[in-house]
Amino acid sequence: MSKVATLEELAGVVRSGMSVSFGGFAHSLTPMAFVRELVRRQVRDLTLVGIAEAWAADTLAGAGALRRLVLSNFMFEGFGLCRNFSRAIESGTVEFEDYSHFALASRFAAAAQGLPFATVRSLLGSDLLGSDDGAQRIRHREFESPFGGERVVLLPPVSPDVVVIHGHRGDRHGNVQIWGATSVIEEQARAGATVVATVEQLVASADIRATPERTVVPGMLVARIAEVPYGAHPTGMYRLYDADYAYIREYVEASRDPARFATYLAEVTRGDHRAYLARLGVRRLLGLRSDPHFGYHLHLTDHVCRP
Amino acid sequence: MSTVNATTEEIMVYAAAREISDGDTVFVGTGLPMLAAYLARASHAPSVSLLFESGIVDPNPTHLALGVGDFRLMHGATSVRGLYYVLSLLQKGSIDVGFLGAAEVDAHGNINSTIIDGDYRHPGKRLPGSGGANDIASSARSTVIMCVNRPDRLVPRVQYVTSPGFLGGGGERERAGLRPGGARMIITDLAVFRFDPRTRRAFVSSIHPGVEPETVVERTGFEIAVPLGVARTPAPNDQTLALLRAMDPDGVYLRRPRGA
Repeated sequence: MSKVATLEELAGVVRSGMSVSFGGFAHSLTPMAFVRELVRRQVRDLTLVGIAEAWAADTLAGAGALRRLVLSNFMFEGFGLCRNFSRAIESGTVEFEDYSHFALASRFAAAAQGLPFATVRSLLGSDLLGSDDGAQRIRHREFESPFGGERVVLLPPVSPDVVVIHGHRGDRHGNVQIWGATSVIEEQARAGATVVATVEQLVASADIRATPERTVVPGMLVARIAEVPYGAHPTGMYRLYDADYAYIREYVEASRDPARFATYLAEVTRGDHRAYLARLGVRRLLGLRSDPHFGYHLHLTDHVCRP
Repeated sequence: MSTVNATTEEIMVYAAAREISDGDTVFVGTGLPMLAAYLARASHAPSVSLLFESGIVDPNPTHLALGVGDFRLMHGATSVRGLYYVLSLLQKGSIDVGFLGAAEVDAHGNINSTIIDGDYRHPGKRLPGSGGANDIASSARSTVIMCVNRPDRLVPRVQYVTSPGFLGGGGERERAGLRPGGARMIITDLAVFRFDPRTRRAFVSSIHPGVEPETVVERTGFEIAVPLGVARTPAPNDQTLALLRAMDPDGVYLRRPRGA
């Protein structure tokens, strides 16, 4: 049976009040067309379990779609703070709990293996575990190993209601292939109660079976899949198109002020994804295409930012 | 004192590069640590292995990456994996040196990258959060911290321990269950601090060329003395400097010296 759906049908899987997690790392791999569709649908009260999907987190924070954040780090590499995310915490409008990257990834990995808890050596001695008054900041247990007495931290597994990933290509059975570093996608996709995927291109299943080493998430884990070209924009897809640094700069500028960001977000989410791409224009989109040898654009970042 | 052509950032990168030994496995982030690792590999440590939290293993980039997620960093890598994979190697104890930045660092090498002012629940300013920093600080065999030498950055005690150094000093790190390791040094724009092996408190190990000892004392928020006749941080020679500048031809991380 075909799992192919439209972006709109796919986004309908996420309903207000659910917990979600997105693929992505820095300015790459993030299912941003899906995120913009959630903004259009005015989904609310989401719990975002996020490790590296800064773009999803900051956009949804700016849209007022979040009730709770379970996070390890959100920043715009090379551009500084995720201001909507920071503001949501500073203004007390979202609940939040902090982990390290490995601690949160381990919670996904525990869920991915059906284990009752994750085991890490991180967090010990830090304020991520608890405050001076002894109150626990996150649910955990310090535990001495029965095999030698070393101390570890136990954490509950985490299994978001919906995990959303964006890949380079996939097929009607939901197989998803990705080129390059895979962020936390392997763990997220196995941990999620429901996994949906957008891909740059749907291809014949024979093409997937001819290159199984490229498949990061096998179709058996994926409920629905949609073909969404440039679905990661403004983040990039290795070997296809680079991050749109000029766009990123506009976004970061707009996010300095909540009112300005609201206007900006209304504009970029006007119409559907096709309308979004039409506004960007063919020239701009093709201008992001990667150099076939290097896998990225050779000149996009010139003078764009200075950390 | 001989004339020094190197900028402050170049002296910092050179100091960091010298902490990397040939054969080390190093956990690297964006910016000056990235350049330090490349410089070490191009000079005294040709067989160093570089790991990035984005899952990139030992890249050999042609173009300088703007961050660890930048596709430029995948070029020439021996392997590209995921975040969980490389951080598992870190936890296993495979990393000799990990680099850390800091919004705040204290006299015992603890780092805050979570909040500024207020408290955790009601921060004056919310920062990005731990990311891989707590993992590096917990599990790397040693860490090198790089930050700006300002009284509000080098503080007696961080507002929030995102990443543990030696906690309260002495044996507190080990008593918390953390493995040995912790901060090896802090490299600032003025000086290099190292840690007393017994008290685990920072002391001034060297000050950069042209820096007055009083400036280090004034610009450091925790109590510190600069011993008489303290060493000067070595500056890179012209050959090393040329090598380093060629790695950042557009001045992404290294500002160009005036007139250069």
